[in-house]
Amino acid sequence: MTAELQQPKGNHRYQEPSQARMLKIPYNSTLSSGIRSFSVLSGLRATTIEPSNTNHPKSQSHLKNDEPTVKHANLSNAQKAYLDRAIRVDQAGELGANYIYAGQMFVLLRKHPHLKPILTHMWEQEVHHHNTFNALQLKNRVRPSLLTPFWKVGAIAMGVTTAAISPEAAMACTEAVETVIGGHYNEQLRVLTNQFELDKTDGTRGVPKEVRKLINTIKEFRDQELEHLDTAIKNDSKEAVPYKIITEGIKGICRIAVWSAERI
Amino acid sequence: MLNRSILKKGLFSYRSYHPSLKEYVKPATLSPLTYNKESVQYKILSNALTKWVPKHGFKEKAITDSLNELGFSSSLLSVIGASNSPAIFRSISPAVMELIKFQLVSKRYELTENLCPDTTPKNELPSLESLLLKRLEMDKAIGKQIPHLFAELATPSSFLFDVALPELHRLSDDMIYFSNEKDHHDMAWYTKRLGVSCAYVSSKLYMAQDNSRDFEDTLSFAKDKLHRIMKLGEYYNNTEEYAWYMFMVSTNLVRARLARS
Ligand SMILES: [Fe+2]
Ligand SMILES: [Fe+2]
Repeated sequence: MTAELQQPKGNHRYQEPSQARMLKIPYNSTLSSGIRSFSVLSGLRATTIEPSNTNHPKSQSHLKNDEPTVKHANLSNAQKAYLDRAIRVDQAGELGANYIYAGQMFVLLRKHPHLKPILTHMWEQEVHHHNTFNALQLKNRVRPSLLTPFWKVGAIAMGVTTAAISPEAAMACTEAVETVIGGHYNEQLRVLTNQFELDKTDGTRGVPKEVRKLINTIKEFRDQELEHLDTAIKNDSKEAVPYKIITEGIKGICRIAVWSAERI
Repeated sequence: MLNRSILKKGLFSYRSYHPSLKEYVKPATLSPLTYNKESVQYKILSNALTKWVPKHGFKEKAITDSLNELGFSSSLLSVIGASNSPAIFRSISPAVMELIKFQLVSKRYELTENLCPDTTPKNELPSLESLLLKRLEMDKAIGKQIPHLFAELATPSSFLFDVALPELHRLSDDMIYFSNEKDHHDMAWYTKRLGVSCAYVSSKLYMAQDNSRDFEDTLSFAKDKLHRIMKLGEYYNNTEEYAWYMFMVSTNLVRARLARS
């Protein structure tokens, strides 16, 4: 509640800490409880009652009980390569975000204690994003970005520098970063929803569960990033001097970073 | 241009996203081989590897003998090598290349066949050391052929960059993923894999000259080497020129890649 009191007026959309905490459920439990993912599946399930059992008795026989009976065709090499790059760049991006906020907090907290709840809240969400993609990187055996040490240093530097200019400049930095990240996540969501429909052994088509999980994760994170963007604007990011240079400069840096983290 | 394709096929292509196994039908081939365990090629090559390579080495004769034994026509030799383009500057035949590739790939799969890190708790998985030793033990039968095998693998050629190095990295990656070894999100991800590759290659080199009973010396060398690399960070030792060479090739790939962007 303290967080709300310290918000500038008119900030009715700021998320209360209690609500925020609900969002920070560990990755696996959010998704394996699977309310959202099942609602996607239920339509398909209803139309394909039993045929899989009669059509493919052989492919079923060796399965263990915890394995789904209907299987997908294999992902193509291009699809695997896309997921590989997506997880690598998202991991690097969330690492960057995590370190940017850490850098900002390091500078701002002493002089501007009223920003603490806002920054802490956003930072905690970034830590959760970062941990989630770290887990996905190991689970799916994706190599991390080779530039990781550079992202760490760069992100801290960006956080510290903008915060050293002024709290508004720090908010302008957040605004710029979240604009690029929000757009980047939307682009990924577009590809993941459109390009990952695979044939299934029961004759239908669908997006594999692990991809749907990833889509849901990215959706959740995208929404939180856009919330950070709102928070930054409400905290006077537009009053930063020099606003144009900071935001455009950082947007440029972020786009280059996204491009190289996908590849290197 | 050559450089670029070497880079693409080197360290950076060596393994992409691994999908969850449960959700998909079994892949049709044992990637990067172009056939699966039930195929004729697999039968011919694995028979050649277990029975005839210890006798003849990695030579065409091992494959033809295997073909004859299994009652196939020796004209199948060209089918076996079909996925490899003939080497321009070397005397090695495409079928022998396939046999070498088969030895690397099939043994890598065999090493981790019954392990499933997705469902097994980390502490119940085997140790990195035990996987390394197990992999070395798998080559006891072809111990005498290792020097020749190495000569073929290490010749700078597209085979080295397209097959040998990526396979080496995949092997190290597998050993780390399927063992209880801690894995990483940053540069340690790379150094650990290079360290395991380094330990494996230098142990293989040792094995090539090892005359001890049942390769006991090799196994204790491997244990010691792995320990020195992983715990003491000792990647390089003067006597292990080849390991150093491999290490340099890998890091050069990385450096060239960085310079290009
Ligand atoms: Fe984030
Ligand atoms: Fe964010």
